[in-house]
Formats: sequence, structure tokens, C-alpha cells
Amino acid sequence: MKFDTIIIGGGLAGLTAGISLQQAGIHTAIISSGQNALHFFSGIFESSETCRERLIRLFSTAGIRVQDIPGYHLMPMGTFREAGLSLEDVASFPEKKIAERALIVNFMGFHDFFSSFLAEGLEKEGTACRIRFIRLPEMEHLRQSPSEMRSVNIARVLDECWEKAVADIRVLHKDEDLIILPQVFGLKDASVPEKIASALPAHVVFVGTMPPSVPGIRTQMKLKRRFEVLGGTFLMGDEVTSAALHEGVVSSVTTRNLDSVRLFADHFILASGGYFSKGLVATPNRIVEPLFGLDVFQASDRNQWYRTDFFQDQPYMDFGVRTDTSLHALKDGVPMKNLYAIGSVLGNTRKDDFGTAAGLAVSTAFAVADAIKESQKEQLP
Amino acid sequence: MKNEYDVIIVGGGITGAGTARDCAMRGLRVLLIERHDIAAGATGRNHGLLHSGARYAVTDPESASECIRENQILRNIASHCVDQTEGLFITLPEDDLNYQATFVDSCRNAGIQAEIIDPKEALRLEPSVNPDIIGAVKVPDGSVDPFRLCAANMLDAKLHGAQVLLYTEVTEFIKDGNTIKGVRTYNTQTKRKGAYYASVVVNASGIWGHHVAEMAGVHIGMFPAKGSLLIFAHRVNDVVINRCRKPANADILVPGDTVCIIGTTSDRIPFEACDDLHVEPDEVNLLIEEGAKLAPSLANTRILRAFAGVRPLVSADNDPTGRSISRGTVCLDHEVRDGVGGFVSITGGKLTTYRLMAEEATDLVCRKLHIDKTCETAVTPLPGSEGKSFREVAERIWENPTTIQKATVGRLGSGAARMKDNSVLEQSLICECEEVSVGEINSAIERLDVSSLTDLRRRTRVGMGTCQGELCACRAAGLLVKAHDCVEREREDIRDFMTERWKGMYPIGWGDALREAEYTQWVYKHVLGV
Repeated sequence: MKFDTIIIGGGLAGLTAGISLQQAGIHTAIISSGQNALHFFSGIFESSETCRERLIRLFSTAGIRVQDIPGYHLMPMGTFREAGLSLEDVASFPEKKIAERALIVNFMGFHDFFSSFLAEGLEKEGTACRIRFIRLPEMEHLRQSPSEMRSVNIARVLDECWEKAVADIRVLHKDEDLIILPQVFGLKDASVPEKIASALPAHVVFVGTMPPSVPGIRTQMKLKRRFEVLGGTFLMGDEVTSAALHEGVVSSVTTRNLDSVRLFADHFILASGGYFSKGLVATPNRIVEPLFGLDVFQASDRNQWYRTDFFQDQPYMDFGVRTDTSLHALKDGVPMKNLYAIGSVLGNTRKDDFGTAAGLAVSTAFAVADAIKESQKEQLP
Repeated sequence: MKNEYDVIIVGGGITGAGTARDCAMRGLRVLLIERHDIAAGATGRNHGLLHSGARYAVTDPESASECIRENQILRNIASHCVDQTEGLFITLPEDDLNYQATFVDSCRNAGIQAEIIDPKEALRLEPSVNPDIIGAVKVPDGSVDPFRLCAANMLDAKLHGAQVLLYTEVTEFIKDGNTIKGVRTYNTQTKRKGAYYASVVVNASGIWGHHVAEMAGVHIGMFPAKGSLLIFAHRVNDVVINRCRKPANADILVPGDTVCIIGTTSDRIPFEACDDLHVEPDEVNLLIEEGAKLAPSLANTRILRAFAGVRPLVSADNDPTGRSISRGTVCLDHEVRDGVGGFVSITGGKLTTYRLMAEEATDLVCRKLHIDKTCETAVTPLPGSEGKSFREVAERIWENPTTIQKATVGRLGSGAARMKDNSVLEQSLICECEEVSVGEINSAIERLDVSSLTDLRRRTRVGMGTCQGELCACRAAGLLVKAHDCVEREREDIRDFMTERWKGMYPIGWGDALREAEYTQWVYKHVLGV
């Protein structure tokens, strides 16, 4: 099988690159193991300054709405952070006193939405809060298994019966000017949160829960659909098992599901993520990139990988695949000719040029897509 | 007089808790004072090995015979804390097989049943054991949950009228001439000072007993020996595995609940270091290397965390490792020894022999108070162990117990019957790794003096599983908020809890442990906004 470009990794970086390339008519395949960092996406695009306009355009073609309002985001534990570019799902306010009175509604027995922490955080800033719980018969079957009351399972139920939840909330609502709900609505249909907002007699916002992130998963589904609509090939639940390398050029890869088929391409993009996604693998002595054996920037002494304070930035998060300025991955100190690295597999090695986290994923994806588009143009007669 | 007791016990580890129980059962008015939480020192920082005594049979016969007697007592009185696993002492090709005969003889002299078995039989008994073994001896080792054991003793002491002050430091002894009359205290949570009086004060503070004794004007030459251990994420072995040689580093592998623990190292450390122990990379490497000799699959098993404790040894010689110091009980009457009246220290010993230590200390206290009551702790089951088997207990409470309910009974024993209700809401899981339900957490908050997530962990195992609190800390904090109505404190509590979890994770921060850590650090900081 032959593609123009093969992307390894179907998270935010891989999908953004894939969509950009398909838009330019470059036939692309994405090999995705399934889970990726979008499953625990906060909805906030950290350090997205360099790619802001393009990101908004690309997301809007995929039917994902983003917002960029100055002020503050309300975080799930009732804290605030300065607002930046984010999914429209993220609760954002011009100031920290977000309302006179707020009604916080949770589902009975859903422990992954932190209503009391939210209330305390908001009351500190002058918003009086009242917490109430609702219980829908449609959700009772989830309780049969004690670990099922989790965000995505609840969201699946609510996809079918969110109107009933709204009816219950209407009964609970008194004179509050704001209603706060957990982000468990509109997994399938992104317009649901908006419909809920217009059905209730107060301003409505949705605040995040413990992962999995419902808006994150919805975003991933939408980007994937957009990529496929553009003609891209998405190999879901598959993993690269081997790669053919010769003199700094990757010619093909094989995957677990298509074991006898070699997948050829002119360009390869490594978007395999950080440690969690196994793009980087830490052994007791060193950190490796497992697919191509690329050079990884790291401290050689394991003692230097960590800080003792859990909440400080950790040095291991800075480690990642080394690249040249145009993001060609380095192997044995030499840039690979047709293999690029984007997103979290870079760690924070390219922080100064491309930022971190979601901003890094998107801006490196655009940069590499552009480079591949250029080189395809040059190859035309 | 206000705040007057017969006996004040300083220290809420297993020795203090056991002594409080014994004193209270003999009718004394008891106050126990602990500066942190129960089982916060060496009690909660060891293998959780219920020694048969075999380990000490050759080098320390007195400890060995104490261990086997107490081993058999605990199987009865603390059945819900004990896992009767049996133990193996294996000889590897690099070990001297001649030691085995000496070992078996010494065991028998100490009253420990020790049976030489064929290496093939040993492999059948414990398939994870190194297949290269050239010799094996079966002994009645077991495993014991020290947190549960300590909590059960504390609970029973309270049921017999003892009072317990946690998070309370002894700042000063109240003296009349050369006699101790009581203690002044400071509560680190309420910031309140207090004064409590008693005829006898028992120092049961483990390694910190050195300092407590100094405050009373007495010197005990204690020897802080740090031991580091690793917890593996799977129960690789079902039988305790020891090396059949003189006690050395990393030669015991103990199964406990869903995990297994390898240890220990042994290094003398300064007293100042006892409050902030760190496991060094060299220790981790050594533990893995030696552990894999006992059970080769450990080399490829995920490590959950590293931790260290300090043995409260009493100096006998200048052995820098402390390995040759007796692990026997040291019970000191400071009136006789140092001329300080009303003051007793109980130290040395082991987790396995805590009850005997408590008995000796209580005997001494009673002699001082001229009270003639026999000790009944050896025959009276602890709360949770009065019932029959776990299954019977579970079936008496629930018609068809789920695996979660069985896990609950495993932890609480017959105490599970006191769980408030069985509604689906109470059965919902907070900690998925260890299967701890809402009901069990609420019941611990209600009955077992829980003021923080770490307290809760020691009593329920919340946050001890593979995710190390990533999923359950905020959920459990939500329940604590409900019970205590103090969100601000819980915010701080979550930070402390995750910091404490991280302390045991970064020394083994690679592979899946680092994957978990990356995820957790990202979620707490950037997604939840903790």
C-alpha cells in the first residue's frame, strides 16, 4: 500500500497534520493505537499564539468551535486560570466573580465532578452557590456495576435523554443567574450544550470532570471524521510494528493488523505522543523512542529526571526526540530525510519555537505539513 | 484532677496501640498520644511479614522463639489481618547448602516447624520461585496487614475506654523531682496546647523514643537503621520467599493483598534523617537485582513504589548495619535503670511480637500501680476477627457478596457488618485499583479518626493501588469534605497526599510508573486545576 504521507499517532498533532495535508490533496494515512491525550484534554490550547488563526480555521471546518475571550477559565477544582484559546465548552468569564448566585447541579453518586470544591472556589470570589443533585432512572443501570458512574458512560446515557435532565434542573432552579453543570453533555451531538443553555432560564456553563474528557473525545471524533471526509485513511486501533530505514530514509512500515502488507510513503510523521501514549519509553537507565530508535534529548543520570515536588514542572517532561530546525528527527546525530517528529514526542525540546502541550501539537503539525507541501510542489515537473 | 489517667502511652504505632489495648483491657484509664497518625512510622513501613522466627533462628534464638509463639497467637486473635501464606527458605547455587542443616536444627530448637522439601516440590508450592534453587525449607511464615492490625488494636483500646489523641506532640514532661507526673502537648491541627497527668508514662515511640527519653532526662542508646523496600504491582508469589543464609540485604519477598514487597536494605542513618526518608537509586537497583534472584519474574514486573522505614534498634555493639543487634524486646523501667520514676520505655522487637511487647510493658505498668490483673490479649480476638471465615462473614451480611464486598470483608473482617447501608450509592467505587467503596470510606471516616487522605489510606488502602491516587484522591476528598465540611483544608490535603504518593514513585519512575505519573501530573495541574 502506498501513501504520500504516513502519520504515526492519531492524537491532536497527528490529526491536525493529517487534515492539513489532505486539504492540499496529499494522500495521507494515520495509524492510531486508539487512546491519546485528547481523552484527557482540558479544552484549553496551551501556548497556541503562533498558530492561532490557522487552528481556528481548521477546527471550524471540522465543526469544532473555539473561543478566545479575555478573562478567566473556571477549572474543575474551583480555581481560575487566565483565559486563552479554548474549546467553546470551557467555562470562561470576564472576571472571577462569575455571578451573583450560582446553582451547581450534579448527578447523584457521580464522584468525578467536584461540586463542593467548585462552590468554595466561587464563594471566595463572591458568587453564592447552591449544590443540588439529580437522579435519572435512565442512569440507574450504570450503578449495577460500581465503576460505571464515569463521565463518558453518563454522557452516553445523556445523549439519549438530556431533555429529562433539563426538566429536573428547571424544577431545582430558583433565582440563580447562573447554572453550572458537569461536562457530560453532547458527546455525540455538539449542539446539545447550546440547546440546554437555551432551554434553561439562566446562563448555563459546563465545567470539566475527571477524565475521560467528553469535549476532548468529541473533538477527536470530529477531527477524525473531517480527515476521513477529506479522503484520508485512518487505521484505527493499529500499531506500527517495524520500520524499514536505509541511509536516513524511511521507506515503509508494517503494522500489527496488516502484518503482511508493507505501507510505503514519501514522508513519515512521528506523532506518537509522550510517555503515556508510549511515544517515549523510559527504561531504568535511559529514555528511548521505541519505533525508530531516534535520538532523545535527556539527562543521563536518572536522579535528574525528577523533582521531589509533585506539583513542580518535572525535568522528564522536557525530554523528547531531537530534531533539526525543520523538525526532521535525528538518528545518531543525523537528520532523517523524510521523517518528522511533532507533538508530545518532542517533549519540551522545541518549546521556544513551538510552545508546549496542545499548542506544540498544533503548531508543529502545521509546520511539518507546510514543509511536506513545499517538497511535494518541488517534485512536480 | 482534670486530664488524669493511670497511664499515658506516647506513640500510636503498633506497640503503642497494643499497649493501650492491653492496659485498657486490664481496666486502666488510658490515654494514647500520637504526634502524627496511627502506623505512620515503622509500623506502616516494613514487609508486613508475620515472622515464623525462622529468619532469626540461627543468629538470635530468643527472638526466634518469641516470633513463633506470637505468630500462632496472631493467627487467632487477628485472623482478619493475617494471610496464612507459609514461607520458603531457599538455597541458590551461590549459597552454601550446608547452612540448611544448621538452619533447620536452630528452627526446631526454637519451636519452629521447619521441613526440608525437594526443590521441585518447592516450585510446585510456589511457581514464581527461582527454578535454579538447590534447596528449600518450608516454615510457617505469613503476611500481616500492619495498618489494619494497628487500627484494630486502636479501635479495641477505645472500645475498652482508652482515649486517643492523634496529631498531638509531647512537648515536655511534667516532673515532680525525679518522677514523671504527666506530659505537656501541642496539637498540630488545632494548634492547642494541653497538659495530661498519669502515674506512669510509657514511651512506645519507636525510633523517636530516643528523643522522647531524652526529654524525660533518660538516655537510651538507640540505633536508627533505615530499611528500604519496593512494592511490586502484582502478587507475584503466594508464599513468603526468604534466602536460606545469614540475614542480608533484599532477601525477603512477602505477598500482601494484591501486591508483593521486596526488602530490605539496612543502613545506619542520623536521627535527624528519620523524619524524611528517601530511597536512593543504588538501593532500588540492589533490591531489584536481589529480588529477581528470589523470583526471576520480578525483573519484568511493574514496580508500584519505593519506601523506607527505620528499625528502632537498641545499640548493643558497634555493628554499622545493625544486622547483629538482637531483634528482641527491650522493656526498660527507668526508675530502676535511671532513677526516673513513673517512666517506662518499650522498644526493640518486631511487628510480629508487638503483642508480647505490649504485654511486658503493661505487666510493668501494673506492677508499678500495684494492680494484679492477668493479660488477656493473647486469647481475646481483635475487633474484626471475632467471626469465622471471610466468606461466612460476607455471606451473613450480603446474600451474594460481590468481589468488592469480599474485598471489604477482607479488610474489615466482621466489622464489615457495621457498614451503614448497602444501597447502590454506597457500593459505588472510589478507589478502583483496591476496590474501596463509598460505604467503606464513609464507615472509616465515622469510626476510625480520619482527618486526611493519608489517614484514610492507612485505614482503607485508598490510593495504594496501581494508579497511586490519580483517580481516587479527589473523589475521596469529596467525601471528606462532606464529612468535615472544610474544603480549604481538603485542597491542601490533596496536594499533600499527591506529594507523598510521588515521593514513593519517582525513585522507581520509569516504564508504566512514569506513564502513570505523566498522566497524573498533567491531569492534576492542567485539567483539574488543583
